[in-house]
Amino acid sequence: MNDETLTLYYYNDGLTPREREKIASSLATDQDVARRYQAICRQLDRLSSPAITAPPSDMVERWHDSLHRAARAEYSVAKKPVVHTWSFIWGAAVTAALAIGIGIGIFISGDNPSQAIMSDSMVASNPNSNAFVRGLQVHLRESEQGLSATPFSATADRTLLITDIIEQNRRYEKVAQQNDSHGLARVLRAFDLVLVQLAAEDITPEEAEALQAKLLFELNVVLTKLSRDTSDEALSI
Amino acid sequence: MNTVLRLLVATFILLAANSAYAQDEDTSEKDQLKIVALEALIAAPPERALPRVRKILEGNNSDEVKESALFILSQIDLPEAQTLLVEMAMQTSGELQLEAIQMIGIGGDPTALSELSRVYEVGDIDVREAVLEAYMIADNVEGVMAVAMTTEVEEEFEAAVEMLAIMDATEELRGLRNRPGMSANLVEAFIISDDSEMLLEMAMDGSNREQQIEAIEALGIVDAAGTGTTLVEIYKGTDDEEIREAALSGMLIADYDEGVLELYRSSQDPGEKSELLQYLTIMDSDAIWEIIDAALEDER
Repeated sequence: MNDETLTLYYYNDGLTPREREKIASSLATDQDVARRYQAICRQLDRLSSPAITAPPSDMVERWHDSLHRAARAEYSVAKKPVVHTWSFIWGAAVTAALAIGIGIGIFISGDNPSQAIMSDSMVASNPNSNAFVRGLQVHLRESEQGLSATPFSATADRTLLITDIIEQNRRYEKVAQQNDSHGLARVLRAFDLVLVQLAAEDITPEEAEALQAKLLFELNVVLTKLSRDTSDEALSI
Repeated sequence: MNTVLRLLVATFILLAANSAYAQDEDTSEKDQLKIVALEALIAAPPERALPRVRKILEGNNSDEVKESALFILSQIDLPEAQTLLVEMAMQTSGELQLEAIQMIGIGGDPTALSELSRVYEVGDIDVREAVLEAYMIADNVEGVMAVAMTTEVEEEFEAAVEMLAIMDATEELRGLRNRPGMSANLVEAFIISDDSEMLLEMAMDGSNREQQIEAIEALGIVDAAGTGTTLVEIYKGTDDEEIREAALSGMLIADYDEGVLELYRSSQDPGEKSELLQYLTIMDSDAIWEIIDAALEDER
């Protein structure tokens, strides 16, 4: 996929709906395409913003938070290559996974620092383990928070965020499917469909809002169900 | 205790939404309250949650509320919940029907999934698309394959084949290879499923010229190891202009300028050299400077 096509996609011009769908799908699956598109968005965003304006204070705060998180992550990665400390729950999950001999690599994404990334080694882990469930809970919770916190007007930010969520979602779906946790795999596949629709740039703000509300509801339900199942298991033990 | 408390809270909110807000014109707020209550129901025992969800679905509620109820229904592990989903998929229309179909996919119940073939038969294009998506969500390759095997409508075949590609159903797609008149759809599906082996086989098969040309170009898209060299060999091995053009397009898509340069150097035909030079220029190849330098050297 060349840069000209991605530029047309950015301007929502000269492409058929089918071509646009394919590009949205590539953005969700191909990191190289997503990176190139991100660079194009940055360049074109600059062109379309003749005046330099001060960013809103909430955005500045978010940047500061991101910088702090990145600094903390870097520090913890330097000290413990596998574990970072921002989430006690996730830390516990990693410890549990390590205890059963599963290597889990977690790192912080540069563009979406709050997004926990599941490494390939996690893909080989067992979905019935607490580590997997807790990791999935973190993924769902952070997807929910990320989507709620990113305004519909921040098109490029949202595209990147959703691309990250799709990537993570597919990894969790793969683990669930490979290990016969079919119920979870099905829900995650359904999320994927909604996320791909949300990533399409020709979606109207109203459609995006409705889809997002639906997705957030479903994410919450799955989170509650996972918590319920986990506590039921704990009670039965 | 927690479960009972949650159930009570959910029931209270549902009642409150139905009574205290009865006079309220702001239905959206009322809907939001019902949705929150539905969300709380997931923590309740399934046999207690189910009648409340059924009541919402049978009541005079907005589509938004009913769609949320359908998702809760898909998460209730009781056969009655799946039966209700099938009823909704068969008896409703519009967005609600599409949602119910998707929820059958999420529920993954084999009996409910088998009912989807009936929904597909009588449904319009949106319903049919929703059924294919439900099969995909449920990882039900057989359902999608049944559509691909029986449909006579090209668009429907195309949609089914695309779904099989997304589901990585490589063997099933290969089984559809000889279906007449559908080569473009299949090549596209092999691209999506990254099946370079199959594309290579089609690229070498001269029995279906249209399919062969598409497969040659597609080799550049899948960009598997060794496809660049294969494209050069295909180009060298034929005098057919269209096949050569497809091989060059493949190299262009794969950004394999080494191959185009190799062809340029071995060519003795000025017309062909000129065309290959154009390709190198489009590809923004560094080799273009070597060629220009060499040409200038010759001038001197």
